[in-house]
Amino acid sequence: MTMRNLQRQAPWLILAGVIVLLFSFFTVFPVNARPAAQETEKYCLSCHGDSTLSMTLPSGEEVSLYVSQDELDHSVHSNKGIECEACHNNISTYPHPKIKYETRRELSLNYYQTCEKCHSTNYAKTQDSMHAQAAAEGNQDAPVCTDCHGHHDTSAPDEPRSLISTTCSKCHTDIVDTYKKSVHGAALLDENNPDVPVCTDCHGVHNIQDPRTEAFRVQSPELCAGCHADKELMDKYDLSSDVYSIYKRSWHGVDISVYKARWGAVWHDSAVCTDCHGVHDMRKTDDPLSKVNQKNLLSTCQQCHPTAGPNWTDAWTGHNEISLERTPFLFYVDKFYTSFTPFVLWACIIYVALQIIRSIVDRVRSTLS
Amino acid sequence: MSGKKTNNRASAQQEKTFARFPLGQRWEHAILILSTLTLLLTGLPQKYRDMSWSQDLLSTPERLYLIRQIHHIAAVVLAMEALYHIGRAIYLMSRRKLSAAMFPNMQDVRDAWAMLQYLLFLRKEKPAFGKYNFEQKVTYWFLFFGFALMGISGFIIWFPVQFTQFLPGGVVPASKMAHSTESVVAAIFILVWHFYHVHIERLNLSIFTGRLSEKEMREFHASEYERLTGQAAADKKE
Repeated sequence: MTMRNLQRQAPWLILAGVIVLLFSFFTVFPVNARPAAQETEKYCLSCHGDSTLSMTLPSGEEVSLYVSQDELDHSVHSNKGIECEACHNNISTYPHPKIKYETRRELSLNYYQTCEKCHSTNYAKTQDSMHAQAAAEGNQDAPVCTDCHGHHDTSAPDEPRSLISTTCSKCHTDIVDTYKKSVHGAALLDENNPDVPVCTDCHGVHNIQDPRTEAFRVQSPELCAGCHADKELMDKYDLSSDVYSIYKRSWHGVDISVYKARWGAVWHDSAVCTDCHGVHDMRKTDDPLSKVNQKNLLSTCQQCHPTAGPNWTDAWTGHNEISLERTPFLFYVDKFYTSFTPFVLWACIIYVALQIIRSIVDRVRSTLS
Repeated sequence: MSGKKTNNRASAQQEKTFARFPLGQRWEHAILILSTLTLLLTGLPQKYRDMSWSQDLLSTPERLYLIRQIHHIAAVVLAMEALYHIGRAIYLMSRRKLSAAMFPNMQDVRDAWAMLQYLLFLRKEKPAFGKYNFEQKVTYWFLFFGFALMGISGFIIWFPVQFTQFLPGGVVPASKMAHSTESVVAAIFILVWHFYHVHIERLNLSIFTGRLSEKEMREFHASEYERLTGQAAADKKE
């Protein structure tokens, strides 16, 4: 290629250069496409990859010291290049310092504290939780980070979403069994429904609170309202999104709102959502097993109103707006007062105003004459 | 203000007075005022429990319980008074010892029409009223039925479980709404209609003193004045 040729082709070369430059803006080069080089992991596994490796603690418990490559491959940490000693920070050499823990649990309870190094926010949250409170009261089994998230195989806790309830069921087995039969649990397990609540949606994630307290009780309707007052979400399932606003105006709802606003520390029995619909076993209202199914409604009311008779269930307007079909008495009373109240008010005001005008005019007239 | 004037005029002229309410009826009215006022004052904070002023007032669950107790006691007092009032009226009327003057009749319709014409400047003179003019009958019967409704609905929401043993359940929320709304309607009515007629238009204390002055009789109960004295009420009018 001569210089002359090059000069002739110069515009094309510049154009090509610009195109390459432009394309490079839209191209993302993989920064870390392959698992980060794990230098110590390989080194550690040269011993700990032996599945028979174990030790006996003073309590007599045998602890396996085997760490499988497979577990590590599923871990979020290993794939990000986080090395063994990031958590096992007391071990930097071989031979390792002697383990001073009496029991396996004691070992776990000490190791999990290294999570705080990176996950300080969530770690701090757990310190305010019901679980931390149980631990403080001496319950050795109260869960710590690793009990829910795993240790060597720590992976995304919500993939799939049903994994969350599986995790909780490790301890709360009965409750999760009940939940699985509920409308929420069934939709989660059968359809992997993304909208239904899993345990953590109602109970919180790391700062899980005691749900048996006065405070939890009076704010629980708002928890349900988080979804059940969401029109867009409820329309998707052909459910009413007015249930909460109507409840709030009901005898129970007003009562609960006052306790929430003013007397949060006082236990109050006025019904909240879960009292009638069930705590973990809420079902569709047309499900014959639902506590609020027409067949079971009276016995549900009788939990609090033990002497109520069969007519009683109609005293509950059932989260429905006033209508002639459902609540005829209420409908007519409402109709009557929507016209009667303004009629009385205006009739009184107009009549009295006319009297005042007339008496003023009369007085003015008599002083003038 | 104008009430004072009426008082001055009445005392200055040393007029003869006419009996209007016997002692028993004055006591009944006193009980009515006290129990109704108590019911309103203890009822409204319950009606408006979602408002912060009500929550400030009912600052503890004990206070709420107390205010309900007071409301219930006042309700029983008023209910007994109402039963006594009706029972006594029926008993006396059956023995022809009480006139039927309080019952509405065609004369009241004519009076109301004439009064409306008078108020609209279509007529020069006020119509001549009997012992109870139509305004007073409206007051009486409006509150009569209002209290009946308040009583019935009130007892239903006080004892909902017992009432639904024989009444349909739908009456409970209906009673709650009726009780809550009627209370405000009745309060508006008393404040606007009754207070104007007995305090502003003139200070009419006959329900406490039991007597009306001659001037008041001539002006507000001309027919009754004529019936009692045989004189024309308009004669001595200035």
